[in-house]
Amino acid sequence: MIYVENLKKEFKKAIKEPGLKGSLKSFIKPKNEIITAVDDISFHVSKGEILGFIGPNGAGKSTVIKMLTGILTPTSGRCEINGKIPYKNRKSYVKEIGVVFGQRTQLWWDLALRETYTVLKEIYEVDDESYKKRMAFLNEVLELDSFITSPVRTLSLGQRMRADIAASLLHSPKVLFLDEPTIGLDVVVKDNIRKAVKAINAEENTTVILTTHDLQDVENLCDRIVMIDKGNKVFDGEISMLKTKYGQSREMKFVPEDLDAFNNLDYLGEFNLKDSDIEVENDGHTVSVRFNSDAVSVEKILNYTLSKTHVKDINVKDADIEEIIKGIYRSEVKLDA
Amino acid sequence: MKVLHRIRRVFKLHRIFIKQDLKKLMEYKIDFLTGALALFITQGINIFFLTIIFSYIPDLEGWTFDQILFIYGFALLPKAIDHLFTDNLWSIGYFTVSKGDFDKYLTRPVSTLFAVTVEKFQIDALGELVVGILLLATSLPKVNFNLSFINVLLFIISVLFATFIYTGIKLITASVAFWTKRSGNVIHMFYMVNDFAKYPTTIYNRTVRAIITYIVPFAFTAFFPASYFIVGGNPWYNIGGTVVMSALLMTVGIIIWNKGVTAYESAGS
Amino acid sequence: MRKILKTYKPFTHAGLLMAAQYRANFFFFILGDILMCFINYFLWHAVYNSGSAESFKGFTEVDMVVYIFISFLTTTIAYSDGTYAVGEEIRDGTIAMRMIKPIRFELAFLFQELGERIMTLFLVFVPLVSGVEIYKFVMTGSVRFNIVNFVLYFISLTLAYLINFYFNVCYGYSAFVLKNLWGSNFLKNCIVGFLSGTTIPLAFLPPVVSAVLNFLPFATLSYIPVMIYLGMYAPVQILYSFGLQIFWLAFFIALQQIIWNASIKRMSVQGG
Repeated sequence: MIYVENLKKEFKKAIKEPGLKGSLKSFIKPKNEIITAVDDISFHVSKGEILGFIGPNGAGKSTVIKMLTGILTPTSGRCEINGKIPYKNRKSYVKEIGVVFGQRTQLWWDLALRETYTVLKEIYEVDDESYKKRMAFLNEVLELDSFITSPVRTLSLGQRMRADIAASLLHSPKVLFLDEPTIGLDVVVKDNIRKAVKAINAEENTTVILTTHDLQDVENLCDRIVMIDKGNKVFDGEISMLKTKYGQSREMKFVPEDLDAFNNLDYLGEFNLKDSDIEVENDGHTVSVRFNSDAVSVEKILNYTLSKTHVKDINVKDADIEEIIKGIYRSEVKLDA
Repeated sequence: MKVLHRIRRVFKLHRIFIKQDLKKLMEYKIDFLTGALALFITQGINIFFLTIIFSYIPDLEGWTFDQILFIYGFALLPKAIDHLFTDNLWSIGYFTVSKGDFDKYLTRPVSTLFAVTVEKFQIDALGELVVGILLLATSLPKVNFNLSFINVLLFIISVLFATFIYTGIKLITASVAFWTKRSGNVIHMFYMVNDFAKYPTTIYNRTVRAIITYIVPFAFTAFFPASYFIVGGNPWYNIGGTVVMSALLMTVGIIIWNKGVTAYESAGS
Repeated sequence: MRKILKTYKPFTHAGLLMAAQYRANFFFFILGDILMCFINYFLWHAVYNSGSAESFKGFTEVDMVVYIFISFLTTTIAYSDGTYAVGEEIRDGTIAMRMIKPIRFELAFLFQELGERIMTLFLVFVPLVSGVEIYKFVMTGSVRFNIVNFVLYFISLTLAYLINFYFNVCYGYSAFVLKNLWGSNFLKNCIVGFLSGTTIPLAFLPPVVSAVLNFLPFATLSYIPVMIYLGMYAPVQILYSFGLQIFWLAFFIALQQIIWNASIKRMSVQGG
């Protein structure tokens, strides 16, 4: 379905020196440096899969998506989707994909939303019959009815995002690219969007590639994630794998009766731990203990704590994907991918 | 059949956007009037300027006032038509590429050039079109224009191809933005050369004449075809030249544009 | 005065830096505009070839060429972006914020623009003036550079810029009514261009029209400084011209203040 092999993208960037003299210098003799945004990335996606594409800001996510959608031409390497090479067979290729960029709309600002869809119908050559059916389906999933006659510029962010997603699906694409589809939205709208994406994926077996900063999106939607950092792939696999492999981090929260008793506890000495294996945080009301469950078991921590102090409440948290990913970003968790 | 279908599609899309622009025009009547009036008055002032000049001289190096008006009016037609349909090319040079907004055109299954131009119908250009038609209509009876079928046909052909000379030059200069991010001022610089075309090229020196004939060939958008109709000449050069230059510029323009699209770097995020 | 300079000097510096940043763009833009001068040069050359007289309305061909280029120079230097600046602020609503800032809006903008003007001065002034003087030397065979006229021209040019600045700020307030800034600005530029004599010297117009236009503020923006440069004005007339320029400058400063006060009132009533 989607094959990406050794994909690489370099950008040329002019170096600007500060001040009047500097700008005069760069005007006469411009200096360039080459920035590698994406460095040798390979992965593949099968039909009907929802793939989460994650990584910190500037990791190269958008650059990869832009190469996969035919916007950017790769410096080297190849990608093939539905047997087509995006930047080579652009016009016929983009007929089979849908693209949504959360940061900017692709709808026509001044046209009424309905009018926008009429334009898209023509551009993608959707026949009247399928168009009618399609609009009915999208209307049901994305609830466009209440604002379909308004000009795009008057829509709220949530409405606009729904409209954008509908626009990208009008021609029944085989692959849907969503770049930050929930950015800036409130919890309820985010939830609606996720449901819609799920429904579309279930209904038509549409392959979905999703980039996001919201890890709820990933947990809710994705079967698999590819994580990149500084232009390189650092993880590729199922979320459950990420959890069993790297999810040793546990967090326990205690609400003690007597805070002073807690200060006398010495986890490090008792279990002979390294500094990096445990972290204790005291906010004056709750005490949080984060530790590596490979180094010391949950049971041992619990027994030790309860034997020395009295607590009013205990809360044990499971491996949280957010914590794991944060750890990987901070390169605390070692990867052997 | 396939071609017919494609033509139908092009017209339908144009119609939707034009309809929308007309709707907007109704909503912002005053703004449309200021825009169209501005273009109308600019041309009007130039005509007034010519009137004053001609009150001091009997003719301009052999050209009568009416002949000058005819050439001037002819010059405005292709300029206005190009302005009506391809005004969005200016935005490519000024901000679309530098802001990364060009992305959206690349995700459409139509040519990027069509996607860009269809989006905007610059209705203000009607101001220029009206002045052009008025000038042609008033000067026509007083110049030696033989209204034969073949001449009318040649007239239409030359206006059509002259329009593509404008488009081609804008296309080439706008494409520069794909490499330099911005090229609005480069478009401006070359576009301004069109003003030379409004007068008989015989008033310029050799260098200028060579530039506006062979390098930035605006002479073929007005003086060469227009003078053929009123004083005669070699139709293969005067009108054929317009066709050839137009085809040449559009070909080069489309090649550079397409090369530019592959060099397009989007905007970092 | 010293306090004003101290407060607003950073703006000038910022304007200068900004202009330096965009000088390549600016250069191309000017190059496009200068083409107009060459068209006019050839057009007038043809006019003088076609007419029987050596001079029209006291202008020889050399005078006319100098007129074309110096009047271009004058409008380029005395150019102001005030209309756009004020218009944009009105359109996006930031003008309301100006009321709570401890600096004067128009002065901050004036000083910023002065920075840009300095850059323009370097880029166009020297090449154009020397070009024109060399042309005069080649055509007439003698050096005709008059330092007194040049200094008087420079003073008049400075006044022209200030008048134009305040005029543009006043005009910018029209954005309260007109939303099409591009259109209304374009309309203003072409009408002012004509009325100020950049299209054709005012002397060429019918006597009555010319007399009226000579008194209007627009003549002070370009026609008057250029006539001083050309040495076409007698001392009395130069004195009268400076008086006229100062009068219109005072007029537009006062008008700007009145409109500003009125819009403050309007905003505090409507709540911005």
